[in-house]
This record gives sequence, structure tokens and C-alpha cells, in this order.
Amino acid sequence: MDAPVAPSVAAAQDAARRQLATALARIAGGDQQALQFLYRETAAKLFAVCHRILLDKGEAEDVLQEIYIAVWRRAGAFDPNRASPISWLVAIARNRSIDRLRSRAMAARQRTIDEAADVSDSAPTALAQLEISQEHRRLMDCLDDLEPQHAGAVRSAFFEGATYGELAQRMSVPLGTMKSWIRRSLQRLRECLER
Amino acid sequence: MSDDPTTEGDGKLIAAEYVLGVLSTAERRAVQARIAREPALRAEVEYWEQRLGPLASELKPVDPPPRVWAKIEATLAADESHRTLWQSLPFWRWAAIGSAAVAAASLVAFVNLARFQSPNPPLVAKLESSSGGAGFVVAIDSGGAGLTVVPAALSDVNQRALELWLIAPGEQPRSLGLIEAGRPVHVSVPAELIQRVTPLSTLAVSLEPLGGSPTGLPTGPVIASGKLTKL
Repeated sequence: MDAPVAPSVAAAQDAARRQLATALARIAGGDQQALQFLYRETAAKLFAVCHRILLDKGEAEDVLQEIYIAVWRRAGAFDPNRASPISWLVAIARNRSIDRLRSRAMAARQRTIDEAADVSDSAPTALAQLEISQEHRRLMDCLDDLEPQHAGAVRSAFFEGATYGELAQRMSVPLGTMKSWIRRSLQRLRECLER
Repeated sequence: MSDDPTTEGDGKLIAAEYVLGVLSTAERRAVQARIAREPALRAEVEYWEQRLGPLASELKPVDPPPRVWAKIEATLAADESHRTLWQSLPFWRWAAIGSAAVAAASLVAFVNLARFQSPNPPLVAKLESSSGGAGFVVAIDSGGAGLTVVPAALSDVNQRALELWLIAPGEQPRSLGLIEAGRPVHVSVPAELIQRVTPLSTLAVSLEPLGGSPTGLPTGPVIASGKLTKL
């Protein structure tokens, strides 16, 4: 590893990524300290992901706990050649949070939708922009190419785990319209990301 | 590119829709089941997880309370014993000695008897969570008229019921009734389902409202599943 003379953001991100990948490899070998390290480095981020979807501190705590226990048990499934550690962890966090969200009773779901509508979706601040990874910047550029309303729906779906039906209701468009917005956006995102 | 939403919904986009999170419970469950069997779909899901994942960095980190890590540590400690247990093949004997569970003991007796007396090896299943943790061990009575479900890892089911499902290839899940997280339970298989108790079928446990699924199909998340195998 050649350390750059002037440490760049990219180099720091690279180093962080390698550290997390190493921690996952050690966790797969049964190293509890590595799990503690991983938790320290990533729990606040994953907790934010869970909480944004569930909008309930207690449930988000339950899911966070499940995530790290799942990581402890299946860290061996992580392949550093195919996945970035943080995206891998975020995927586990989102999947578990969404499954939990979907399993709630309808009444509770409705309340959640109403609350969700009150939480504004954060566009990254200027400071956060400085720390944005190359992959993230690319994704943002591709999202910017979409119709603003469509990009908004994609973001809501990602951050809140809202279904087609919920998004359609919230944005007051027919279900079919919402489906074609999202599907067209996903297709265009894919084309853009592969360019 | 086709603008017909019905065709766009199939095929490759289903992975993107799954990862984005817009699918309903039933659709999500169908995709999750397919991911386990279809490497191409799995790769597609991983592609989208990697591509969309960076969006999460737009959220402001929120420090979880210290009790979360404390609970994780406690679970890990309890897990250690299970881990070694699972890794050793003579699990059945361990289960008999370890968990003073009468049902588990009779299970071992049954398995051993069946092994020596029957030309057909007995069927068992290890139901694992999607995270790979073992959740339940199931042994099927000879003839398939009943089965014994032994919980392997205690899980907090939080005011909900655990329902056991039998899923024959290409069919809807059929309920086998409620089981418990804390003790072994013997479940009778309805006569019309006995024929479906074969190594081609899958058993799954879902979290349901107290009293069980109101619809006759799983409504909550599947916390563990596994194929029947010959011992």
C-alpha cells in the first residue's frame, strides 16, 4: 500500500473500506473484538438507516441488534471482491428494517406513513458533499438526470422503504403511474451507472 | 425499452424493485425465496445493493444507546455454546443430554430406532434464519403424520406467535400450526398433507399475530426455513 503524500479523501475512504473488510474477515474467524470494532465504526450509520425506515427508536434498536448478530453469524458470506463493506451492511440493515416494517399491522403502518410525510428528505449538506464517495457522486449525478418528481419517489422508497401503493397515495398519483415512474427511473439509473 | 408496466415488472427489474424496497410483503417473500435458488437473481440484487447503498450516507448518523451493544454481547456469549453444538454432528445426543427436553430425548430415541429398523431413513430438517443462524430442528415421525420441532436458539418473539409452514414444490405454504420458541413441540400433520412431507418440501417458521396467521398464509417475516433431508 503506497500512502499518498497529501492524504486525500479518496485515500481515507479506501483505508476505511479496507479496515472494515479486514474486520469482517476476522469476524468470520470468530473474533469478537473485530465485531466490536465494526460496531463502533458503523452502528451510528446503520441505526440512522433503521430508524429512518421504522420511525420507532425501540424497533430500530431491536433491528440493529439483529443486524450485528447476523453479521457475526454470516460474516463469511461477505466477499470483498464483490461488495463494499458498508453497502453490504446497509443492505442487511435495509432488508431487515423493511421486513419488520411490512410485518406491522396496517394501523401502525398508516401512522408510519403519516409521520414519514413529515420528515423531510435530507439532501446532503455542503460539508457532507466533501466526504461523498465516488460511487455516491455517480449515483447522485444519475439521480439528477431523472425527472425531479421521479427522483423524489426513488429516494422516498430507498430511505423509507415505502411500497408502490404508499408512494402513489402520498404523491397522489395512480398506482400504475407510480410503478412506471419507478421502473423507468430504475432502468435509466442502470443505463446511467453503466455509462 | 418497453413502457408496458406489466412486462417491465418481471425479469431483471424485480431485483432493483426489491432492493429499492417498493415491493409488497408477498412480493418480497417471493423474491427472497428465489434469491436462495437463483444465482443470477442474487447477483442482480447484489448489483443494486452496491449501487444504491451509497445513498445511505446522506442520512445523519444517530448514535444508538449503549444497551444495544450490551445485548449483542450477551447474545454472542449464549451463541458460543450453540455454535459448537451445531458444528458437531452428534447434535441429537447433545440435545438429549443438554436440554432436559423430554421431546428432544424421545426424538433421539425415535431417530435411532428409525435408523436401525426402517428401510426408509427418517426425515429431519434444520430450519435456519436467512442470516444462517440455526433456529429449529425438526424430526418427522415415520409416515409423516407428525413432527417434533425443537427450538435451537432462543429468540425473543415479542408478543407474537410462531407458525410452522409446509411448502411443497410449486404450492402455497400450508400451516402446520403454532410452535414455541422456548420448548419442543409435537405437531400433527393433517391427513391431506402427509403426502407432501417429502425431501422436496420446505418447512418455514414465520412470525404471526398471537393466535396465528389470520389469512391462512404467512403474514409476518419468515424467521427460519429449511428443506427436509434424509438422515
